[in-house]
Amino acid sequence: MIAVIGLVLGVLAGLLIEPTVPANLQPYLPIAVVAALDALFGGLRAYLDGIFDERVFLTSFLSNVVVAALIVFLGDQLGVGSQMTTAVIVVLGIRIFSNAASIRRHLFKA
Amino acid sequence: MTLINEVYRQPLDPGYQDVAARRAAGAAPPRTIRGGAALLVLAVLLGAFATTSAVALRRPAPAALEARALLEAEIREGTARADELRHANAAVSAQIAQLQGDAASTDDPELFAQLQRDAVAAGVVPVAGPGLRLVLTDGDPSDGTAPDDGSELVQDADLQVLVNGLWAAGAEAVTINGERLTSTTAIRSAGDAVLVDSTALSSPYTVEAIGDAATMQTRLARMSAGQHLASLAQYGIEVRVSAQQELLLAGRGQLTLRSAQVLGAPAPDAESADGADDASSAATAPDEQVLGARSPDVAGSGRHDGEESR
Repeated sequence: MIAVIGLVLGVLAGLLIEPTVPANLQPYLPIAVVAALDALFGGLRAYLDGIFDERVFLTSFLSNVVVAALIVFLGDQLGVGSQMTTAVIVVLGIRIFSNAASIRRHLFKA
Repeated sequence: MTLINEVYRQPLDPGYQDVAARRAAGAAPPRTIRGGAALLVLAVLLGAFATTSAVALRRPAPAALEARALLEAEIREGTARADELRHANAAVSAQIAQLQGDAASTDDPELFAQLQRDAVAAGVVPVAGPGLRLVLTDGDPSDGTAPDDGSELVQDADLQVLVNGLWAAGAEAVTINGERLTSTTAIRSAGDAVLVDSTALSSPYTVEAIGDAATMQTRLARMSAGQHLASLAQYGIEVRVSAQQELLLAGRGQLTLRSAQVLGAPAPDAESADGADDASSAATAPDEQVLGARSPDVAGSGRHDGEESR
């Protein structure tokens, strides 16, 4: 419950305050958003499975975002930034898809 | 394949399962207020971060906007400077013409009259008189009356044919959107715009020609230029012709000849020492210059006729 309330508060704060993102963080934003989506879908599925845990949810959220950004940062330094972005997007995309499928099975029993 | 299997079969973080198992075994750590507060802060931060990222991604990159604004400012600045210089040029030209007129009209009225005639033919001074006004408007593909492949735009060749036709029909001075045509004027295309000399013009193109309106209209209609104008309708280009009682055509300002030499004219530095005798030869020399310069126009109209028949 705490995590959900906190997230909603954070989203509202982000929308109202509209802080500016530093220019050198800009390349990592897409990947961070996709990682956040993955954590959200994972959390929703765990909730439907009845095993949701706030601590695990927030930790996976944070680590997803940080690790995804780190991988892309590393890729940028090695000159394979766009390929790394693709790799991360593919992996997270597959996870989002299968989590979404699981959520669908829970909700529609189909 | 193992990797894909793992990603696909176990998309859920194993942590959820572990914690659930521990809780079922009764080994879950007790909840504390401090832990709850930390979770709340973390959740707020993550939510704000994700929202900020999403909002920032929806905005166009600031760097691109900055570059665009900079370029726009530079273009505006450059255009303003060009306008300024053109105005200054026009003012100085007017002054030169005024001084020349003052000098020649008192010393030698005949030379002054000759100078005036030549200045009109050369397109240097503003002139007024009755004439024709033709307005060419680009076709509008949106309502389906014109093709959408670029042929609905007025081309440089259309204006060239029209202007050559006007000269041949007896026009004494011609402007396109206020740009006076002289013996050295070029009409050419640059993208969607038409350049007259280096000034970019856009639709509608207003071509004004001083001369006897009725005669010019009749002759123009008989020439291939008239047929060319009529054929523009099939591309959706609108051509409106109207006779005008009084047209005021701007002058080009002083022309600078860079390579052409006037035949039989005294050298520029000797000119100041010339007496009245030499002045008459100087008076005939610009006439030659104008005749020589005008002939390419006639040749040009012939060339365009040839192009049309192709």
